[in-house]
Amino acid sequence: MVLKVFFPQCCNRAASGLLVGRWLPGRDTAVVLAVIHYPFIPSTVKQYLQKVQAQSQVPVEVLGSWSMPSEKQEGLDSFLRDLRTIFPQGRWLQVSREVGKTGFSCQLLPLALGEGGGGVGGFGASCPHGGGMEGGLNYFEMSHWQSEGREASIHGGADEAGLHPALPAAGLGGWAPSHAVSVVSAVLSYRLCPLRKANVLVSVLLDVFLGLLFISWLYREQRLARLASALMPAADRVSKELQELLQWLMGAPAGLKMNRALDQVLGRFFLYHIHLWISYLRLLAPFLEVILWYGGLSAALGLTFALSLLSDMLALLTFHIYCFYVYGARLYCMKLYGLCSLWRLFRGRKWNVLRQRVDSCCYDLDQLFIGTLLFTILLFLLPTTALYYLVFTMLRLMVVALQGMLHLSVDLINSFPVFALGLRVFTPYRLAEGVKFRVLSDEPGTALHLLMEMNALGFGSVVQTYRTPTYSCYPPDSWGALLRKLFVGELVFPWKRKTTKTD
Amino acid sequence: MGPDIAPGPDVPWRKVLWERQPFPDNYVDERFLEELRRNEGIRQYRYWAVVKEAVLVGQQLSCVAIFITFWLYMEQGLLSPEVLLWTSLIVGVLGYGLHNALRPQLGTDREPRTHLADLQSAAIFLSFTFGFSPVLKTLTESVSTDTVYAMSALMLLAHLVSFPYAHPSPTGSLSLNAALFASVCLASRLPGALHTFAMLSCALLMFALWPCLLQSIRDHAIGPSAWLCVAVCLGGVGGLGSRWLGGAVLLALALVSVILLCPLLLVKLQRHKDNIQGPWDEAEIHEDLCKVPY
Repeated sequence: MVLKVFFPQCCNRAASGLLVGRWLPGRDTAVVLAVIHYPFIPSTVKQYLQKVQAQSQVPVEVLGSWSMPSEKQEGLDSFLRDLRTIFPQGRWLQVSREVGKTGFSCQLLPLALGEGGGGVGGFGASCPHGGGMEGGLNYFEMSHWQSEGREASIHGGADEAGLHPALPAAGLGGWAPSHAVSVVSAVLSYRLCPLRKANVLVSVLLDVFLGLLFISWLYREQRLARLASALMPAADRVSKELQELLQWLMGAPAGLKMNRALDQVLGRFFLYHIHLWISYLRLLAPFLEVILWYGGLSAALGLTFALSLLSDMLALLTFHIYCFYVYGARLYCMKLYGLCSLWRLFRGRKWNVLRQRVDSCCYDLDQLFIGTLLFTILLFLLPTTALYYLVFTMLRLMVVALQGMLHLSVDLINSFPVFALGLRVFTPYRLAEGVKFRVLSDEPGTALHLLMEMNALGFGSVVQTYRTPTYSCYPPDSWGALLRKLFVGELVFPWKRKTTKTD
Repeated sequence: MGPDIAPGPDVPWRKVLWERQPFPDNYVDERFLEELRRNEGIRQYRYWAVVKEAVLVGQQLSCVAIFITFWLYMEQGLLSPEVLLWTSLIVGVLGYGLHNALRPQLGTDREPRTHLADLQSAAIFLSFTFGFSPVLKTLTESVSTDTVYAMSALMLLAHLVSFPYAHPSPTGSLSLNAALFASVCLASRLPGALHTFAMLSCALLMFALWPCLLQSIRDHAIGPSAWLCVAVCLGGVGGLGSRWLGGAVLLALALVSVILLCPLLLVKLQRHKDNIQGPWDEAEIHEDLCKVPY
């Protein structure tokens, strides 16, 4: 039989006394919670134990005796044996230690005479100090576990039910330590729910704080007015750049030979669009400063608010680019579709919709004639359309990339677990992923003495585990699917909500 | 794998494997390979019959040459588009009349409907071509001349290769489309939109309607069709020669080799044919999907 004893480190140097703790049912494990020093009145101790048991629902009892004899204490053995008669228990644990040695010697004395303690293992954990207790009518001294700090976290993590609240008067936490192996697996579930809520709260507070900082920076020194007055010329410049781009496309861009007629038509169409857009912006110009003023105030709700607003404003200001992209994409898509179909006609084949395959087909003479004419026209006009589509797709992708960066930063602020990281830095024992043992003394004849220490969670795994899930939009396509869509001319929608309808 | 040398017992050998016989499994008797047939279905070609058929190939080649001749004339300004248009129109009407005359009379009720459908088709062709000719004119502006010539040559070659010589009437898609593509490429190089329109009408006549007429002539009057093809060949050589002598020489050489030389080769090489057929061949399905009425 191997007996395991959990022993607080503070009691290593405690004076002799009574071991108080609990036995784990079904397992040969004893958890020592405190050592009650002499002198004490047994009835007081019993009353105190009953009070603790009632308050914390943990069956705390007297486990046995602890003796670390110094030079002046004689006759301790008989005294300890007498203690046994005062506190009758099923099993009596006797732990003793010589001054100057690290090894413990443990003995288990059952009520019936029988085998003594065989190989007994004991654990210790770091604990800085003990303390005195007010208990009942009399006062007795006690060295005990800390309910906060590293000791409590080790045993708290081992219990799947979670930590019971610490008793204010007794300073004992109620917890049920279990076998060492199960400690390793269950630590991560420690205090999970409150930690996530704390993360969210701290993120929101940080967000608001950053937003207030931003407001205080923006609203002084007339920065807002200067921003509003700089916005119109910026939009004008963007439009002028676009116009110059279109003029370049209408000429011979990069030495490519475009079809002049189609070029002129498309170029003039887009130029007219830009002209409409400039007029619209000029209409909006007087109200711009007021809009910006009120919009900036919204940063008081958080920096993420202001960033999202900025992203929306960017989308509105580049609406014409979006329109051009849609026109170009639709034109290109229709042209490709027509070309594919007419190529099949060229070879004398047809797409069988029922069987989803290409079949041979006998066409009439007029179908063949008109089909070939159209095929020729579409084929020769393809480079022009493709170039316009390419240019406008690039512009649109640039705008989408800018918006994506804004969205990413919003997502980052929202989901970063600041609180958990702070916890990891300042109190690493709270977020642990396992325990490690160090052998303190392995002499034959004495019990195996191991030191149990926490393995703190790595920073990377803290971030990964405690990230707040945000309802942000992720791009729905992989890179391969995106490239294929761009090549074929399908419209690309970069944002997709997580809750989309399923077909 | 011949028959085994061991003398068999008196039981005759049967070509079955589901009965145990005293012979080994790979035994065959003297009836081995008696079902082999050599050169079955081989046709005995006669030289002049083959030449008559080969004239059709030469005729198509000359058609292409005549088309190129017209194009050369138009490009160098020697032929005005109106003349070509009117000529095409008249020739088209004449050809249509001839086609109708040659068709067997199946009753008067069928004809007016067909006439209407034909008129509708013709109207569609003409209006479409006329409407698109300005677009077609500017189509290859930015493409270099060499590319245009190369594309046209490739497409005309594809047309010649994929032409259904055996039965020209329902024209094959690829051949007609390739010819039209080549004509659009060439027509877009001409100076004006009317030139383009004229060229395309001419192309339509020569590549789409002429094979139908030829088919009906061949169906009902075998003799004159051969002489007609020869006339077309001579016309092609002559026309090309008036603008481009080297081309005419090349064309003449090609025609001679196709019409006279290749049939000779075909007939002479029949001696070396060695086909074997037997019960081991896969079944073949001969079906022309174009003939399925729908």
